[in-house]
Formats: sequence, C-alpha cells, structure tokens
Amino acid sequence: MKGLIGVNRYLPSCAALLAVSAALFSGGAWADLYNDGKVLATGGVSMTDGAGGGGITPWATITGYGTRDGINGDVHYTYVNLPNYALNSIGAAVGLWDRVELSYTNDVLTTGSTFNTVGLLTSTVGLPTGIAPWNTTIKMDVFGAKVRVFGEAIYDSDNLIPQVAIGGFYKINHNRALLKTLQASKSKDWEAYIAATKIFFPINTLVNVTLRYTAANETGLTGFGGPKGNKREIRPEVSLAYLLNKGTAIGVEYQKHGGNLEGQSVDLNGLVVPGDLLGSLTQHESDWYDAFIAFFPSKNLSITMAYAMLGNITLTPNQSGYYISLQASF
Amino acid sequence: MKSLKVITQIAASAMLLFAAAQPALAAQDPTGSKQTTYPGLSSDALEKFGGEAGVHNWVQALFYYILLDNRINKIFVEHGNIERQIALNTQLEQMVLGGAVQYQGASMSAAHADLGITLTQFNAVVEAAYNACERVNTPYSVCNQLIAALAPFERSIVTR
Repeated sequence: MKGLIGVNRYLPSCAALLAVSAALFSGGAWADLYNDGKVLATGGVSMTDGAGGGGITPWATITGYGTRDGINGDVHYTYVNLPNYALNSIGAAVGLWDRVELSYTNDVLTTGSTFNTVGLLTSTVGLPTGIAPWNTTIKMDVFGAKVRVFGEAIYDSDNLIPQVAIGGFYKINHNRALLKTLQASKSKDWEAYIAATKIFFPINTLVNVTLRYTAANETGLTGFGGPKGNKREIRPEVSLAYLLNKGTAIGVEYQKHGGNLEGQSVDLNGLVVPGDLLGSLTQHESDWYDAFIAFFPSKNLSITMAYAMLGNITLTPNQSGYYISLQASF
Repeated sequence: MKSLKVITQIAASAMLLFAAAQPALAAQDPTGSKQTTYPGLSSDALEKFGGEAGVHNWVQALFYYILLDNRINKIFVEHGNIERQIALNTQLEQMVLGGAVQYQGASMSAAHADLGITLTQFNAVVEAAYNACERVNTPYSVCNQLIAALAPFERSIVTR
C-alpha cells in the first residue's frame, strides 16, 4: 500500500498537468506543436533516472524526436537483473522545442539474499529496520529537468564545441527505515549536472561527458550521504557510442560513484553492528560500467540491451547483470 | 551554501564557453575546397564514394527520395530545376569530400535565404541522404564522411 500512497501524492500535480495539456492541445494546436523531425536515433534513449541520454548517464541532448520546431515525448520501461537485486524503472519525459526536457521516473528496486537474511533476523527480534524477511523493496521517485544551453551536437562537425546542457534531479526515496539502517543521512535530495555531447561523424562516434554534483549512494536507491553528513561532490560520467548504422549503436558507459557508506556497517535501530563481526554486513559502493547495444527500428521505438557491471552494492559484491530498456516515443 | 557556489561556478563556466563559441557559429558556405571537420575526413572519402560517378549516383538517389517525401518535395519542385540541382550537388559533394572540382552554384545562404527552411525539413533531407547511401550501397561509415562534410551547411540553410 505504501506504493499506492506514494502515487496518490502526485495525482493532483498529474491532474493539473493533464488539464494544462488538454487546454494547450485542444483546438488543433497539437497539430502545430507536435514534432518528430529529429533524425532517427538522435533523440537518444532513457537513462535510469528518466532523463534523455544513455543507459545510466544523462546527455546534453533533449529527449524525444522534437526539433526546435515543436514538442515530443516518450515513455520508457527499464529492467535490470542483478544477482541480488532487480531494478524496474518506468517513466515519462517530454522535450520542448529541443530546449527543455522534463521527466518523471519511478524506480523500484527489489532485493534478495543478504537482505533476506538480515530481514529474517531483525524481524524475528522485532527491530524496525526497513528490511523485510523477503522481498524488501526500495521505491524512489525521480523528477528531472534539463535545459540545453548552447552548442549543436550533430551538425557542427566543423568545430569541436559540444552541445551543452545543465539539468537536475529531485529524488524521493520512500524506504526511509532501510536508509536509516544503512546509515544514509537523507532520503530526499537533489542532484545537478552539466553534460556535453558531440557526434563525430567522420569516426561514427558519439562522445558524452557529464559532471554530476551529488551526494547519492547508488544513484539514491540507498539514500544520500552517510554518517558523516550529506556532502555533495562532483562525479564524472562518460558515454561512448559507436554508430553501426542509422538505427543501431553500440557503446560503453562509466559512472563514478561515491563512498559515503564505504566501510560502514548497518545500524539496527541504534545498534551499529560491527561489520567484521558479521563479515557480510560491511557496505561498499563501486563505480558503474556498462556495455550496450541500442536498436532504433523506428522513431516510435527503441530497444537497448546492456551488460551492467555495478560491482559492490551495499552489502553484496559482484553485481553484474543484464539490462533491457524499451522506449516508446510519440 | 557551498552547493550554490558550485552551481554558480558551473553556470559561469557554461556562459564563458558559450561566449567563446560565438565566433564559430557563423553561417557556413562552400569554401571552394574540402570541408574542414573534426576529426578530418578520410583522405580516400571521395574514392570510397565511387568518385564522380558514385557521387552522381548518390545525388540522383537523394533527389529520388526527396521528391518522394511529401514533407519536403514541394520546396524542391517549386524552387529550381531538379536537373540543375542534381548537377550542382554532384559538384558540391565532390568538392567537400576533397575532389578537385569547383562548385559553380550560389552560396548556401544565398540559395536558401528566402525559403524559410526549418530544421525539421533539413533533417528530412538528411534522412533522404542516408536512404540514398543505402540505395547505392555506400557503407554507413563512408556515408558519414559526406554527412560530416555537409552538416555545417545546416547553419546557412536553416533560417527559421
């Protein structure tokens, strides 16, 4: 029921948005506003925070197929299957005149193994840790906005100036009890980023570099900050994509992660369990890597498949697994 | 408020970059020689395109797709003779790929000044360009040499 309450909280704003949309698009205005004039694949895909970009990194491109002549939007569903977790990300985004992007995504992370053991143990002795004996779930709402500042990623092949955008996310993690157990300092926080994207046609390659100013642990899925507070830092992210043909790209990504909870144990309702006592209860966080292939069979659909190498996630090591993302544009 | 300071710094650097970028954003017109791109076009780009005959085939395929595209065909039919456009484009494309050919047409800005071309329409021509490469069996990576060579003209052609 917790999830439903979470959704209800945003219903009024959704309704308001719909009302505005209805007012805007009635009377044939939609026909003038709608635009799908970008060249195939140049809208990118949807990253796990919901912004337009690669798989895990927001790019300077504005999501969807709208050019500066109109607006376009997309919905996405992403599933990541890791040994001890599964991430389901579902969201929607809109690109306005290729200048502004607004996005919303709901991330649901289900956990297993070590979390089940801790949950079983703590629920037996009646400790409120936010970890259930089975199927502990972390839900996070992510609101995003991005503004393209300058530059032309695609057509300015005669200079090295990239397309640059600035953006931000506001993330609300709903499993506060679990975040307390993991010793994160906050459950809600914002992040800001600056992204630079450029396509180098002579070598069929797209390069994106993003700097994200954040205090997130595992993108916020395990909260923000740690026992020492909520100190934001600048973390780099890189995407490289090689264009195989006009509808297929392959590539790799890297995302720097922080160490707010590095070496920390878990706090079981005030009792900080020594990590070395129980061995596997020490937390670690690794940088993320992925290798992907993205297919763009039409402007209405993209399919991205990736192998994600996320390393240590909180209590569990070696979290590598498959990622699939579907995006429908309209 | 350290975070605010960092954001201010990021915004300031973005604006500085923007200012630095301004001179490079001027309209791009054919310079009478191979197009300068970053990284540079491969030295055998024109050869891989099939030389003059290959470029001519590609331009014919390009106009085949343009004239079939209901989003843009009217612009091409109403403004100029198609045969002449094919001949001039065959010159232009060879020249920007590094061929010893002189383009004898009007500058890109002059030729498109009154047409009010949108980016959406320009992109439709880019889609036709890729379709034309497929039609004449020019590999995608070779096609991108030409795309890179023509891309900067977007700043001269798109006026809306």
